[in-house]
Amino acid sequence: MLELRAVRHRYQTNGRLVLDLDAFAVPPGALIGIVGHNGSGKSTLLRLLALLERPMEGEVRFEGKPVTPREARALRRRVTLVEQRPVLFRGTVRENLGFGLRLRGIRRTEGNRILETAAERLGVQGLLDRARHELSDGEVQRVAVARALAISPDVLLLDEPVSSADRAAAAAMYRVLDEERRARGLAVCLASHQLEDAYRWADDIRAIAEGRLSPVTPENLFRVELPPSPQGTGTAKLARVGAIAIAVATEREGPAILAVPPTDIFVSRQPLASSARNVFSGKVTRLAHARAGTVHVTADVGVELVAVVTEDAVRELGLVPGSPVTFAFKASAVRVF
Amino acid sequence: MDFLGDGLRRAVQLFLSTDAEVYGIVFLTLKVALVATVIACGLGLPAGFLLAGSRFWGRRAALTVVNTALAFPTVVVGLLLYGLLSRRGPLGGLGWLYTWQAIVLGDVVLALPIAAALSAAAVQGVDPRIRRTAETLGAGAWRAAWAVAREARFALAAVITAAFGHVVAEIGSAMIVGGNVRGQTRTLTTAVALYTSQGDFGFALALGVILLALALLVNIALQVLQGRGHA
Repeated sequence: MLELRAVRHRYQTNGRLVLDLDAFAVPPGALIGIVGHNGSGKSTLLRLLALLERPMEGEVRFEGKPVTPREARALRRRVTLVEQRPVLFRGTVRENLGFGLRLRGIRRTEGNRILETAAERLGVQGLLDRARHELSDGEVQRVAVARALAISPDVLLLDEPVSSADRAAAAAMYRVLDEERRARGLAVCLASHQLEDAYRWADDIRAIAEGRLSPVTPENLFRVELPPSPQGTGTAKLARVGAIAIAVATEREGPAILAVPPTDIFVSRQPLASSARNVFSGKVTRLAHARAGTVHVTADVGVELVAVVTEDAVRELGLVPGSPVTFAFKASAVRVF
Repeated sequence: MDFLGDGLRRAVQLFLSTDAEVYGIVFLTLKVALVATVIACGLGLPAGFLLAGSRFWGRRAALTVVNTALAFPTVVVGLLLYGLLSRRGPLGGLGWLYTWQAIVLGDVVLALPIAAALSAAAVQGVDPRIRRTAETLGAGAWRAAWAVAREARFALAAVITAAFGHVVAEIGSAMIVGGNVRGQTRTLTTAVALYTSQGDFGFALALGVILLALALLVNIALQVLQGRGHA
């Protein structure tokens, strides 16, 4: 439905490359989670998808056709973005929810019905007559999502929509998004740094680092400075990450992103004899049950690392938050890009 | 102090009297100021939105010109317009020299940069997410600008007030292109200048007080129009 092709985008102020994507497609009915560090290019990607900015190179396509600036204005009625720190317009929550409906010429009675339904689904029906200065940050976020859903977009882009919300509000929002997708094929693209949430609800997780799509799943991404390669030796080089040094098999030098695929990490209670060059011990900090009977085990081993194991493995190892744990992975399993 | 007290007393008496000349001066002053403010803001506010919100070649140069024009001396504007409107000037055919239209023209030239520069500053002060949010909810350029204007309404009301305050108090250009013709182009400011030069300080002060009262009334009216709404 919505697609970026060969897009390069730079900051206007300093010319720094902020986005470099060969392709990024949002099919109808997709639930895409975009994850990455702050400054990785997530928000810029969403603004390009929202047709609010034009890429300096490459093109945005909608339903297979390149979007011209003239068409972008019309298509913005079908693609909506909720920013990371959304703002409400002057006036009440009701006026805010009705903004997009008025633009679409929807009559007041019908508009009120639509906005009240949207407010109820996001749990903000009690706030309808409040002004924006009477709301908390979390309430503003929920109102902004309700305002976007009220206009029934084909594509909804959300930038960290639950950063100020409590767990219950976040769960309610995800539930509504899923219902919308099932009911009418709404495509959702959500940028988040909360990986557990993203794994729990998104069908398709895409990691972004330094403006590029990461070839691996998004946990365990580290920005490092790779030392020069040792001459004539076949040993892995060590990249310092927080309090630990990760052995990496690479010829690259200088700044790079390291990715440790969570499925390539062996989890044990004690260190085991193996070929793994990277063996780190620490304590389990979180266990998150994801789809398909897998568990994301987060441990503090000097830095926070995430490993994906089966529920059976967690049970057999007796892992609970606070358990001692050892993570091991090969130097050749570490991706560099 | 007697001089000031006398002036205030005479101002009240003048206002309560049915002196046709005084009412004519007040009416002309209001007419000129309101027409000039409407034209200057009608052109200047959209120009300010354009300068603040759009990216086009020469935008910075245009902003510099507008900001410089804020300090344009009124007598110089009057002089230039005199050259344009005099019988031999390029606009002489209009026959506007020494008419109220000429005073309006001078006031518009003086108030336009105020409206443009201050509204540009007001729009630049609005959170850029407001425009983006309006656009992403489907607003075109005009509706998005309207959303921004709603956010900046207090600042924009101040722009209109400043423009009105400038034109109602303007004298240099009005004197040169209006000519201070009794019953035709005599405004409160030119009348104050005339009576002061004739030594009738009390009468001049009375007219000055009326001028102040007019400015105050227009300000109150604007404040009532913009409402008391919170953020």
